[in-house]
Amino acid sequence: MTCERHTSGDLDLYFYDELPSGEREDLGRHLSGCEDCRAALDELHAIRAALASRPDVAAPASGDWSQFMSRLESAVARERSKSPRVLSLVAQPRRRYVEYVAIAALLALVTFSVTLAFRARHVPSPPRAAGSAQHSVPATTKDNSAFAAMSEEHFERSKLVVLGLATKDAAHETPADWEYERELATSLLDDTRLYRLAAEDRGLDALAGVMKDLELVLLQTSLTDAKDPSALPQLQRLIKRRDLIEKMDVVTTTGL
Amino acid sequence: MSADTDLISRAAGGDASAFQALVERHRTMVYRVAYQFAGNHHDAEDIAQEVFIKVYRSLDQFRQDAQLTSWMYRIVMNACIDHRRRYRPGTNAAAGDEAEYRMLNAPEETPGPEDQAYATEIGEVLQLEIGRLPKGQRIVFVMRHYQGMKLCEIAAALGLAEGTVKRQLHAAVHRLREALSQVRVTAGGRA
Repeated sequence: MTCERHTSGDLDLYFYDELPSGEREDLGRHLSGCEDCRAALDELHAIRAALASRPDVAAPASGDWSQFMSRLESAVARERSKSPRVLSLVAQPRRRYVEYVAIAALLALVTFSVTLAFRARHVPSPPRAAGSAQHSVPATTKDNSAFAAMSEEHFERSKLVVLGLATKDAAHETPADWEYERELATSLLDDTRLYRLAAEDRGLDALAGVMKDLELVLLQTSLTDAKDPSALPQLQRLIKRRDLIEKMDVVTTTGL
Repeated sequence: MSADTDLISRAAGGDASAFQALVERHRTMVYRVAYQFAGNHHDAEDIAQEVFIKVYRSLDQFRQDAQLTSWMYRIVMNACIDHRRRYRPGTNAAAGDEAEYRMLNAPEETPGPEDQAYATEIGEVLQLEIGRLPKGQRIVFVMRHYQGMKLCEIAAALGLAEGTVKRQLHAAVHRLREALSQVRVTAGGRA
């Protein structure tokens, strides 16, 4: 019979020194009387020893980094050409559409900030938790305004995925019909994580929560096998269960 | 300001030599994790490339007060997961009540018998088994076992609950334990 301390995963945590000290001592005492757990612990030590005997590979096969570095340099050069980091001393010729996009983004940002400022003056404050600072203004208000604008843009792009998936007829769609959503989900995933972390850093818990739900749906979408006939209905259920469309609507219509 | 944050700051400003120095300082760590995850040079090199391209893209987002290693580990872990997704599509991730748990559990292809024939030593067998682990279990095992990251740190980097990460680790260890038992039976208790 297998001991439940072993099957529960406690023993792994003990081995990796992840148990709180009290539980660790308790399991230590248990080990002295449980042969099953001692054998399991021995196996873990054997696994560690066997893996430690494997060669430590920390460089390309040839041991030479030059090919790796030149490949990376080419990739970075391509990145740089897409969005140059350096303001060269010699003015670079700019494409007109870049200017238009920049102007549009600036206008959107200003408009959104003005809207937020207007709301701040005319909309009653939401109820605060007992003990919170009633009159303190967050030092990051200005940053949060810009962040709110960026988050909103991100939500708008992400809605293409979420609404696209939610409105499809699962019974009649082929994998190719939602390939666009899968690709878009993949491309949005990293940014969503960054936005979530930024929201957490700023203490914007509600926004961080919605970002987390969105991240989960995007990750699930990008990992799912489109050929699996149950995949789309599962994604639709996930979106529904998380109330993701409603939550995104609330954030984009009421701001932060 | 540490050497790393100085390099990041300069690289973010467009200093190519600073970015190169940053890569040179961290490429060994990145490659090691990528190899432990992928088990072969081809994929490890691709993953390491992806990591540094992501680092380049994210230079502006690095907070000066943040831990560089945590930031880098986060990028490495995500690159490992993304790499599998990009080059081996067709996994069976399923949604459900425990989506966070299941989403990283998509099974990989099982290797052919010829792979197993070469796995005569326990270390090799275990290494092969690690390569067969679902990617979620694999990245958690690699970061905990080889890199010594705490489960809470792994959870934070992957955006998962700590309980989920614990289950991933337990599932990975369980499979390695089974592989160990198999090889011991095959070798007649030699191990």
